[in-house]
Amino acid sequence: MNAAEPARPRPAVVPGPKPAAPRLDVSPLAGRSGFRAAGEVSLRTRGIWERALERAVREGEDVYYLELSALTFVDVAGAGALAAAAGGLGGHRRLVLDRPPHALPRILDLLWPGLPGIEVRAS
Amino acid sequence: MTTTTEPVDPFVHPAFFYAGAREYLAGTVPFVRAALTAGEPVAVAVPGENLRLIKDELGADGATVRFLDMREAGRNPGRIIPGVLRAFADAQQPGRRVHIIGEPVWADRSPAEYPACAQHEALINAAFQGRAVTILCPYDTARLDERALADAHATHPVVIAEGSGTERPSAAYDPDTVVSRYNEPLPSAPGAGPGVLRLSFDEDSLSAVRHLATDHGARLGLTGLGLENLALITAELTTNSVVHGGGTGTLTVWPEDGYVLCEVRDEGRLADPLAGRRPATRDQRGGRGLLLVNLVADLVRTHTGPQGTTIRAYLPR
Repeated sequence: MNAAEPARPRPAVVPGPKPAAPRLDVSPLAGRSGFRAAGEVSLRTRGIWERALERAVREGEDVYYLELSALTFVDVAGAGALAAAAGGLGGHRRLVLDRPPHALPRILDLLWPGLPGIEVRAS
Repeated sequence: MTTTTEPVDPFVHPAFFYAGAREYLAGTVPFVRAALTAGEPVAVAVPGENLRLIKDELGADGATVRFLDMREAGRNPGRIIPGVLRAFADAQQPGRRVHIIGEPVWADRSPAEYPACAQHEALINAAFQGRAVTILCPYDTARLDERALADAHATHPVVIAEGSGTERPSAAYDPDTVVSRYNEPLPSAPGAGPGVLRLSFDEDSLSAVRHLATDHGARLGLTGLGLENLALITAELTTNSVVHGGGTGTLTVWPEDGYVLCEVRDEGRLADPLAGRRPATRDQRGGRGLLLVNLVADLVRTHTGPQGTTIRAYLPR
């Protein structure tokens, strides 16, 4: 699953090769409940990220792992989707962020301080 | 300084004019002590040298006071409301008046910073309307220029004249005009040249533009957190243009003095002057992009009008 779009002309005035469209690939983890996300969470890939998080909330596991070591970027809306998912868990359920990009816990601390339901594992 | 009856708007926002340390302490320390005596929360967010004066004078009595160096916490005037004032006021138990000394304007604020300071002081009034909060703003008459002192009379509904110790209504109070007056066109970004990256963008190129901006930031000397902040600022500003600002825009990144500047221009209009200055509520999903830009940049300048909106963020090199 990814957000790759057919290549289209880009109006940017920068010279050089046209970069590929942003991707976000989401795959289930083996041996534990959760998913691995690779690529970036930005405007084009936000829908994929939100649907994956909605599934995580629906599955009802107490602990749900997000393996994020291959995630290169998450924007504020992507962090917001994560905060909303964590807020929808309730009780003692939690999302474990496994090796997220450095900026993600920072954005959560700055904009959703004290948010319950998210645990960060840096290694 | 204490009131026994609540005025119509419980928010109280006096400008306090002082010259020299003696007057400064005479106007600030009794304010703090009155709050402490009433058992009410109090914070002091002023430049470091003035912070030391107040701390020394309070001594052990200041143990429960929240002290912040405004030169750090409030370096970007655009983050003082969400990151300093509301952050403190919103964390207190409801039902008790919150007292803050906030000194956002000092003599060596740069010409680029000052308009953002004046707009910040004006916008405090809207941001705290209806709240049982008192924010006392000291102004140094010995060191600030005439314009800053005149603006303080327009941004504060009440003023305490130098040496008077008493509040009176400010006849010049007119915060909306201050917000408009400093909504001024920014000096033009350089069009081309060494060190200048200038790109147009639309939805298809958002990701590529973010990468090009950070590559350029690295060439200009940003590292680590600085580069991370440039990526976030670029993403939030360009995405805002695509979603709210007409779908396209122009990004410029260039070096200026000790900063890397990141500017996004689009054809949208920013209708809400408090955009990016309100702490979002926990259930609110969107609308935090500009808030993040304010929290991580050293300065954010904005110009908006019928021709479009320009937002310029400063990152230290």
